[in-house]
Amino acid sequence: MTTVDTVQAPARRLRVLRRPRATTGFWSWFTTIDHKKIGIMYGTTALAFFVVGGVEALLLRLQLAGPNGTLLTAAQYNELFTMHGTTMIFLMGMPLAVAFGNYLIPLQIGARDVAFPRLNAFGYWGFLMGGLFIYSSFFIGGSAPNGGWFGYTPLTSTPLGRGFLPGHGADFWAVGIIMLGIASTTTAINFIVTVLNMRAPGMTFMRMPVFTWMMTVTAFLTLFAMPIITAALIMVYFDRNFGTNFFQPANGGDPLLYQHLFWLFGHPEVYILILPGMGIVSEVLPVFSRKPLFGYPVVVFSGIAIGFIGWGVWVHHMFATGLGPVAVSAFALSTMIIAVPTGVKIFNWLATVWRGAVKLTTAMLFALGFIAEFTIGGLSGVLHSVVPADTQQTDTYFVVAHFHYVLFGGLVFGIFGGFYYWFPKLYGRSLDERLGKAHFWLTVIGFNLTFFPMHFLGLLGMPRRTYRYDTGLGWDFLNQLETIGAFIIALAVLIFVVNIFVSRRHGKPAGNDPWDARTLEWSTPSPPPMYNFAEIPQVEARDDLWHRKYTEDETGHAVRIPSGAAVAVEERPAGGGGEDEHGGEGHGEGHGVHMPSPSYFPLVLALGLPILGYAAVFQALWLVPIGALFVAFGLYAWAIEPPTEP
Amino acid sequence: MDQVAVPPGHDVVEAGREPPATGTGVSNTKLAMWLFLSSDCLFFGAFISAYLFYRGRPQPGPHPADVYNIPFTSVTSFILLMSSLTMVLALAAIIRGDYRRLRIWLLATALFGATFIGGQVFEFTEFYRQGLSLDKNLFGSSFFVLTGLHGAHVTAGIIWLLSLWGLATQGRLTSRDSERVEIAGLYWHFVDVVWIVIFTVVYLIPK
Amino acid sequence: MADEPTSAGTTTEAEPRETEGEAPAEDQPGTALERAEAAPPVPAREQLPMLPGEVRPHPTPQRYVMIAAILVVVTSAEIGLYYLQGDVPDGLIIVFLLISMAIKFSLVASWYMHLRTDKPIFRRFFVLGIFAAVTLYLIVLTTLHVFSR
Repeated sequence: MTTVDTVQAPARRLRVLRRPRATTGFWSWFTTIDHKKIGIMYGTTALAFFVVGGVEALLLRLQLAGPNGTLLTAAQYNELFTMHGTTMIFLMGMPLAVAFGNYLIPLQIGARDVAFPRLNAFGYWGFLMGGLFIYSSFFIGGSAPNGGWFGYTPLTSTPLGRGFLPGHGADFWAVGIIMLGIASTTTAINFIVTVLNMRAPGMTFMRMPVFTWMMTVTAFLTLFAMPIITAALIMVYFDRNFGTNFFQPANGGDPLLYQHLFWLFGHPEVYILILPGMGIVSEVLPVFSRKPLFGYPVVVFSGIAIGFIGWGVWVHHMFATGLGPVAVSAFALSTMIIAVPTGVKIFNWLATVWRGAVKLTTAMLFALGFIAEFTIGGLSGVLHSVVPADTQQTDTYFVVAHFHYVLFGGLVFGIFGGFYYWFPKLYGRSLDERLGKAHFWLTVIGFNLTFFPMHFLGLLGMPRRTYRYDTGLGWDFLNQLETIGAFIIALAVLIFVVNIFVSRRHGKPAGNDPWDARTLEWSTPSPPPMYNFAEIPQVEARDDLWHRKYTEDETGHAVRIPSGAAVAVEERPAGGGGEDEHGGEGHGEGHGVHMPSPSYFPLVLALGLPILGYAAVFQALWLVPIGALFVAFGLYAWAIEPPTEP
Repeated sequence: MDQVAVPPGHDVVEAGREPPATGTGVSNTKLAMWLFLSSDCLFFGAFISAYLFYRGRPQPGPHPADVYNIPFTSVTSFILLMSSLTMVLALAAIIRGDYRRLRIWLLATALFGATFIGGQVFEFTEFYRQGLSLDKNLFGSSFFVLTGLHGAHVTAGIIWLLSLWGLATQGRLTSRDSERVEIAGLYWHFVDVVWIVIFTVVYLIPK
Repeated sequence: MADEPTSAGTTTEAEPRETEGEAPAEDQPGTALERAEAAPPVPAREQLPMLPGEVRPHPTPQRYVMIAAILVVVTSAEIGLYYLQGDVPDGLIIVFLLISMAIKFSLVASWYMHLRTDKPIFRRFFVLGIFAAVTLYLIVLTTLHVFSR
């Protein structure tokens, strides 16, 4: 008679849609609010976009394989390099980090889910809708985005027909990224509140795993950076569609304003991209060195320092715009300074591995590869901070080399490592190590073959974003090498994808803790049950799981606590009352754990976004009420339905 | 048919309810709203900066001095400012279990907000009549987009408040739900505070 | 839009009402609204106990009205100053207007948004956002030579 929602139950429920109940089965994926399933969706979708972005890169490389390439027209080339960059940054890099964050943050902090499960689902659906929306421009509107992933004005902001960019690509780009930004911002808020509010008892900030720490800093960067680019893109959209003059030089507008706003977002964005990768490396290295992370507090504070200082360097993307020596010197200094906390992290990682009992699993190989490749990228970055040097390097392939070393050699290597490390937790089976090693070595060879020569090409003056080059400039051979390298990368990625498919079915079965790891997620079954932990753990130390498994003898060596004496997670008395927001009673004691219920409305709300997006791009007013209906219905129904329904 | 049970005298006791079992001791939703508002500062800051950047630059008219009607805008600004008072009185009412005043103050806030929007619409049409449009010059672009986006925020707030008022009318908003009013209030006050900045920086500060 | 799943506590809260001997909610006379209105509200002057998440008791309605009065006075002064533009140097006007803007901003944020009475975490985040916005955009405008024209 009295139910959970007696007090808050609305008098009349709109019985159009019954609350979905299924948590298994194909259709349950559309209504799930479980952070683990959402993480898997993010990861799968982002990997698909990775492949698409990779195909775009292969087409670019085929066009540039030899001088005066004829595979692509200039217009096609512009679309492809724009979409390659946009895809890799917004549809691969950020979502893959969020995929890992989504799956792991609650498990690492001892929570049952994130703070706002439905909002979490909305973040995913918004991402998917945004990505599909942008890609639909290949089929409608005349052109995919073609003004570069950074969309400099006035090229992108000049109204259609009056400028040099054909088609609606720039509109799809501006509106699409606004859409993605909304989704990212909601996820950032979700992660921050989760980490601040839902840590298990005893999990102080300085006991949190470094991956969770880095995701938190990333979330703050996202929270403050996305509104800036949203504003800039609204200005671009208005310039294009309503004739405003924000960036129209003929009417007094200044394109430099756009560059400032874009890079105010753009620079923190690259830290949004790399910090999760650094977090993954900080998890993998200790486990496969069987040593704690060297200098944990310093690594954490360096991550925070990077987060702060990263706001103070954006003008280094504008060194060649004639801002004058004062501005340029100030930002040259700040750019040099940011190398310091980054370097500190690298030394701490090296010290972690030093004298450790190193096990070169594929995950470890990628983590070590990250250190090597990212350092190279960092060095070319510091070279950029020297303004006279940058004035030559800017807009050449030297810059392309730099950011691929830090983003591919950094973030993507880290992500690959993360996949090998955490795959057994997700699926109860490990990825095949032999295929993994083939993946790793082919990637190292292919990646360096593709991108290292770009340093030379840049110094030899080869410009970026140019669809063909003439022969006789000394560029031909290196370009050929790079194209070969790109196809080696493609082969490596193919092996990786095959590994995933094969290992899901036939991989070596993995228990809770196949790597003998250190953090709480490894204390759950593989895969974890929907409620994550039967009992919310009482945390007593950093690397809590390790301390429950091992103690130290007189010589300081780790000694395994015999399993009879080990206090497993499930048996530790739940501290702090064990009452968490999700109900708290252990499943094993026969009490139900109150988990939040699935919901349609995050998807419904997300569906409204592309409808409004098409209305904006094509100025199709009739679409506005339809999109608004989805948004209003989704929002209102979401607000009315209780989080949990029995 | 009504399932809401609000026994007499219990509401005030419920107001002293348990602190949320969260790491920081504050509720998730309130923390989320504050994070969103911090983020929104950067959003409005970009448009205010664009306005400041383009102000006074050589451009064809109309110029601010030609179109601004400070007495009129002062009145609408007063109204928005007073809507913050009514909003916080609504919150005070629901905490105390005074549902009649809750409905009155919620409606008043929404009406004041709507009046402000009405004033904006009138002002914009006046400016347009005097030749200032989105695309006319730098002033038109930066002014209309900034104040238009602010107006959109206010409008969203009005819809939110009217929804709350609707719930209150049906008895579905009790003192246990005071946080829902508080969250809406935080958003509303923020929108008011942004207008305080815009009114000073855009309308009042001399060129 | 409270999204946290209602804890088991909600179930138990419903029970004491029944054990008090009252009829279940559906059987009581009148609508929920009528019953709620029958309950005497706490008089405005009475100080309420502190809510969870507060470090000081929240302000009374009188206090809110007083703050509103101050806001009206400050705004009137600003508008008055606007009309003195020819007679008072521009620099002074700008300084005064910026100070009054800051005063009004703080009053609304501290009192109406309860930053004064809530736990400091909200204030810290909000100040962070404001500080970031002001600093970053001031740098942008300075680099674009807005203040040296």
